[in-house]
This record gives sequence, structure tokens and C-alpha cells, in this order.
Amino acid sequence: MRLALTVSEVLLPLLYLLLFVAYLWVFYENRRFAHLWARRLLATTVVAHLAASAIHARVHHHLPMASPLEFLSLLSLSLLLIYAVIERRLRVRETGFLVTGVAFLLQFIASAFSVAEPAANPLLEDPGYAGHAVLVLLAYTALSLSFLYAVLYLVLARQLARKTFGLLFRRLPPLEMLERMSVGAAKLGVPLLFGALALGHLWLYDLADKLDPATASRLTPFDPKILTSWVIFLVYLVGLAGHRWWGWRGRRMNLLAIAAYLAVVLAMGAIHHFVPSFHNFSLRGGV
Amino acid sequence: MAGHAGLHLWGIDHRLAPTEVRERAHIDPERVGGLLAALAREPGFVSAVPVSTCNRTEIYVETLPEFAPHECLTRSLAAAGLDPALFTGEYGVRLTDGEAVRRLYRVSAGLESMMLGEPQISGQLKDAYRLAKEHHELGPVLMRAFQGAFRAGKRVRTETKIGEGAVSVAFAAVELARKFFADLSHHRALLVGAGDTGALAARHFLQQGIGGLIVVNRSPERARALADDLNGGKGELVRARPWEELAATLADVDVVLSTTGSLEPVILPEMVRAAMRRRRGRPLYVLDIAVPRDVHPDVARVDETYVFGLDDLDEIVQANLAARRKQLPGAERIIEQELAEFRAWVGEMDLRPSVAEFRAYLEDLKEKQVGYVRRKQSDEVAAAVDASLQQFIKKVLGRSMESLKSAESEQERLQHLATLHRLFAPQAPTTTQAPRDPQEPHDRP
Repeated sequence: MRLALTVSEVLLPLLYLLLFVAYLWVFYENRRFAHLWARRLLATTVVAHLAASAIHARVHHHLPMASPLEFLSLLSLSLLLIYAVIERRLRVRETGFLVTGVAFLLQFIASAFSVAEPAANPLLEDPGYAGHAVLVLLAYTALSLSFLYAVLYLVLARQLARKTFGLLFRRLPPLEMLERMSVGAAKLGVPLLFGALALGHLWLYDLADKLDPATASRLTPFDPKILTSWVIFLVYLVGLAGHRWWGWRGRRMNLLAIAAYLAVVLAMGAIHHFVPSFHNFSLRGGV
Repeated sequence: MAGHAGLHLWGIDHRLAPTEVRERAHIDPERVGGLLAALAREPGFVSAVPVSTCNRTEIYVETLPEFAPHECLTRSLAAAGLDPALFTGEYGVRLTDGEAVRRLYRVSAGLESMMLGEPQISGQLKDAYRLAKEHHELGPVLMRAFQGAFRAGKRVRTETKIGEGAVSVAFAAVELARKFFADLSHHRALLVGAGDTGALAARHFLQQGIGGLIVVNRSPERARALADDLNGGKGELVRARPWEELAATLADVDVVLSTTGSLEPVILPEMVRAAMRRRRGRPLYVLDIAVPRDVHPDVARVDETYVFGLDDLDEIVQANLAARRKQLPGAERIIEQELAEFRAWVGEMDLRPSVAEFRAYLEDLKEKQVGYVRRKQSDEVAAAVDASLQQFIKKVLGRSMESLKSAESEQERLQHLATLHRLFAPQAPTTTQAPRDPQEPHDRP
């Protein structure tokens, strides 16, 4: 098992690199063969990384989230998973090189600087907490991809308005498709975020017994991070409703997606640094 | 292709001949039969494939070896009601053997087309080939040349990017629309004006599957007539609306094609702003292909409105053509590979009868030997001898073919062939030599 883990640390970055190259090939060449290889490699990499994570969980009895490097690796898997769902739904691969490029970078850093056995927060051994953490990760990954596609929409829209018929003009999917991808990613992120929040609330008091008294006393459903997450959930929900029922389309819709995501990043960053919260991984005993 | 059937090409194309000459040289399908019938009366003629499109008319002819087709083609063209001088004069292209085949391969790959890499020529060549086959049996060289040309064309299109990107203004308009909309069938277009240019652009959008088309024209009768024409009696995909509804219609469509002959802009910023309020941010793709322009310059400043003109489309076309030209070396390489294969096939053509005689001779010997062994030994031993001799024949034939192919000169090759023929061609038994017992091997003690 440990040997398999060691092998995976070498193989995973290689697989991610191959995947990135395959998607670059798709972007530049758009050959059927390139599409076939990208699709196969995506499935292989996802399966390999899921298997490696399962082995890790079995060996160490906790999710691979004990250190920032392990978190990076899980984040790269999360990126691939969400991207794979969007690609499968919309059958567009021309933007894959961006996602797989980031995923490769994250996985490379995670593998290159990995620590043998980082000290794990005991909470990671709790299945309820692990489920909550994974859902949060997937939800925010989906919202990040929604942001990425909204940015690509604006880039292409700008190229079209300025009549710059360059490589991006030729190779990016149509505006309408980029909007669908952005909305599609948000449609994945919103229920995942709801699931993460619901699970978090359900397990909030069960966790109290497993924490030290000082941390347990800080557990509250009115924690700033929880409240902000609910606000984020509502903002995205309204955005999706506007798209679905009120005909919100085009540049404004994509600007909204970008603004919402930037607000998420700024709010979470500000809370993390300036507001006391029990959601703090850097504190021993934090959640 | 000395010593083999001759292949000749007579043609004219867009590079040398102006449109009026190409029109006069055009061979419509009804005339093909007459031309082929006239050619068939000529003694050295084997078969022909006339190819005639708007940019070229080419007649590929297979003749018997060393046959000069000039007289024969001149007579046949005249008999078919065509002017032979068109093909022999300053606009004519006359090529023979390897050069004719090279030309055919290049035509099939779209390398000789006015729009480099255009795909229609491939279908047109196949139609011409099929039509010629319906009228007469094609000779082996012409048949092989066309099959090779189809393969070369397919390879060039799939292995290079020579067919990518629109290279006509009308297709560039559709290509540009595809940068906005993932599926044109979910969107409707508005055609402002009912002139020929607009009709052509509208037809392209309909061919590419636009979900609906509304024609608005100052003259409602012309709008209705064009809508009926574009519908072609099938369905109601194209509808006409009165000129007064132009502003309102802008809110209902996603693509606007404007092609009126108006001296003043007909699509104004306030009309588009009002429409955009109803569109809730849905982008509007406006294509102004009128001269002078139909769309007021300030329309481009309206949020979510993208206006393009003829110059923009031309820029796309030029960029795509430049990208296609970069693919030429790769395409030429494929053509050379396919030509080499064709040449090798032709080179082996006259070997086949002699090698077949040699094979028959060896097979005959083998049968005699195996029959003898079967009588003297068991069936198992005979089967083993049979297999062993089969291998022997294969090796001898292989070596012989290699030697024949690697002859240093045509004369040497012909000498080898003559020797092979003399030694192994079936001959009537001579009266001076008593026939051997066919069952007895020659070296029996």
C-alpha cells in the first residue's frame, strides 16, 4: 500500500502533465485523435487520482487534507472532476488546457514537496466532517470554474468587439457556449455548496464531543464563514434563477459571475484574516 | 510511363482562362455521353473522364501506348459541339503521363482550386468519374489514377488543416456567427433588403441550419417573393415582415444581415437600444454587407451589439487563406507519396503477365512433384513437400520481382521480361522432342 502511494506520487504529476499536453494539442490542432486522447487521459487521470486518494485514506485513516500540499493535490483532483462533468455535458474541450494546466501545477507542487506523514487533524478521520470538507472543496472549485469561463467569455467578447481575429478568436468556443459552461459550473457549485452547508450544520454539534472544550465552545451556526457561505449560496441561486427565468444573458450575466466570485474570495479572505472563526485549519484544535 | 498506356490531360482552368472562356469550354453532363461516344470511335482511345466545374474543364484520357491523342481529341471535341481551339490555344493546359496524374491529384486535394483547399472539387471529381463509368468501362490506368486522386484528396484534407476556416465572404459571415452561437438552429436571423447579395448570404445561413429567417424590405412584394424563393415550397422557415416592423424585429432575432441599397443608414442606434432593452443582454450579431453602409456607426457602441462589415469578413478570409497556404508543404508531401505509389503500380503493370506465366510454370512443376511423392509416399509426406515447395516458389517469385523492379534501365527491364517470357510462357510441344511422362520428374534416376 505504501509502495503504491509512493508510486502514485511519481505517476500522478506525469499523468497530469500528459493530460495538459493532450488538451494543449486539442486547443492548437483540434484533431479528432487529439480529442480522443484527451478524453481517455482525463478518465485515466481521474480514476488514478481517486484510487491514490482511496489508498491514502486506507493507509493513513484520514482524507489527504492533512497538509497544504495534500490539500493542493485534492484540489487538482477536484478541478478535474468538476471539469470532467462540464466537458461530458457540453462536449467542449478547447478550454481544457487551462484547467488541466492549473491542475498539473498544483499536483506537481504537491508531489514535489510532499512530506512523508504530515501530522493530521484528528477531525479528518471523522466521515461526516470529511464529507463536509470534500463538498466544500468541490463547490468552490465549481464556482472557480464558473468564474474562469465568465472571464473567457469577456475575453472573447472583447476580441469580437475589437475585431481581433487571433488565436483565441479561432480556438475558443462560441460566446454562448462559454456562458453555458460558466452557468453549468455554477449549477454544479450551488447544490454542492448547499450539501456542504447542510452537512456541516448536521455534524456541528456531533463534533463538539470530539473537540477540546475551548474549540467546542466556539462552535456556532452563526460563525462568520458559515453565514458568508449562505450569502454566497443565495447570491448564486438568484443569479441562476435570473438566467433560468428572467432571461439574464450575455456580458452582464458573466460580469455578475465574476463579481460574485471575487466577492467570495475577498469576503473569505477578510474573514479568515480579521474575524475570529472556528473554521481555521491553521489552529491546532480548529475545525 | 513509356511502354504503358498513355495518360493525357487537356483542360482549361481559372488560372489562365477568363470566365467567358471557361463558360464556352464547359461540358455539361448531357454532352459527356456525346464526347465519350466520339472518343470511342478513335482507334487508340481506351477511356476518358471529363471533369467540368465553374472553374475548370479537364478531360483525362487513357490511350494505347505511344498514341498521340491530338487529332483524336480535336475531332471528338468538335463532334461533341465544343471548340477544340479553347484547349489548344493560349488558355489550354495539356499534360501527359506523370504530369497529368500529378495535376489530377492536386485538383482532388483542392490545391488547384481558386479557394485553396475547398472541398467541393472532391465531390465534383467523384461525380465526373461516376458519370464516365456509366458511359463506358474505364481503363486500368485511368481508374487507378482516379482512385489514387480520391485517396490523396482525402488524406490531404484529414492529415492537414488545408480545409479549415472560411475562405469566402459568405462563409466567413457564418463562421463569425458561430463565434457567438453554439447552435445556429436555436437562433433566428433578420435579412434587411431583398437583393441578390442578401439572398446569397441568407442561403448560406439557411444551409448552415439557422433556426429561422425574417425578410424585411421596403417593397413588401419583393420581401415575400424572396421569402417564398428561399423557402423553396418547403415549410415556413423564411417569413416576410413589413418595413415598419424593422425596429421591433431587432428584438426577436440574434443575427442581422443588412444589404439594402439605401444611401442612408437604415439601422439606427435608438432602434437597437430599444431592442436591446427587450433582449435582456442577449448579444446581437449585426452584419452590414451593404455599400454604402446600412448600419449607423454608433450602433457598434450599443452594449452587447457587435457590428461587422465587409472589411472585417475580408480580414477573416485573408487570415484563413494565409493559414491554408502554410499547410501547402504538408499537402505536397502527401501528393508525392501517393504519386510514388501510383508510379510503383504502373511500373509493375507489365511485369504482371510475365510473372504470372513464371508462377504458373513453377506451380505446374510443384504439382507434378507433389503428385509423384504422393504416389510413392504417404499423404503427410506429400503435404510437407507441397508446403515446402510453396515456400520455395514464394521466395523465387519474390526475388525475381525484386530483380525486375531494380533493373537499371528500361531496356534492361524489357530484356529481363523478354527472357522470362521466352523461358516460361506456355508453348505448344515441339515435334522434334518427345513429350515426357508428365508424372515423372526430370531428375528421376
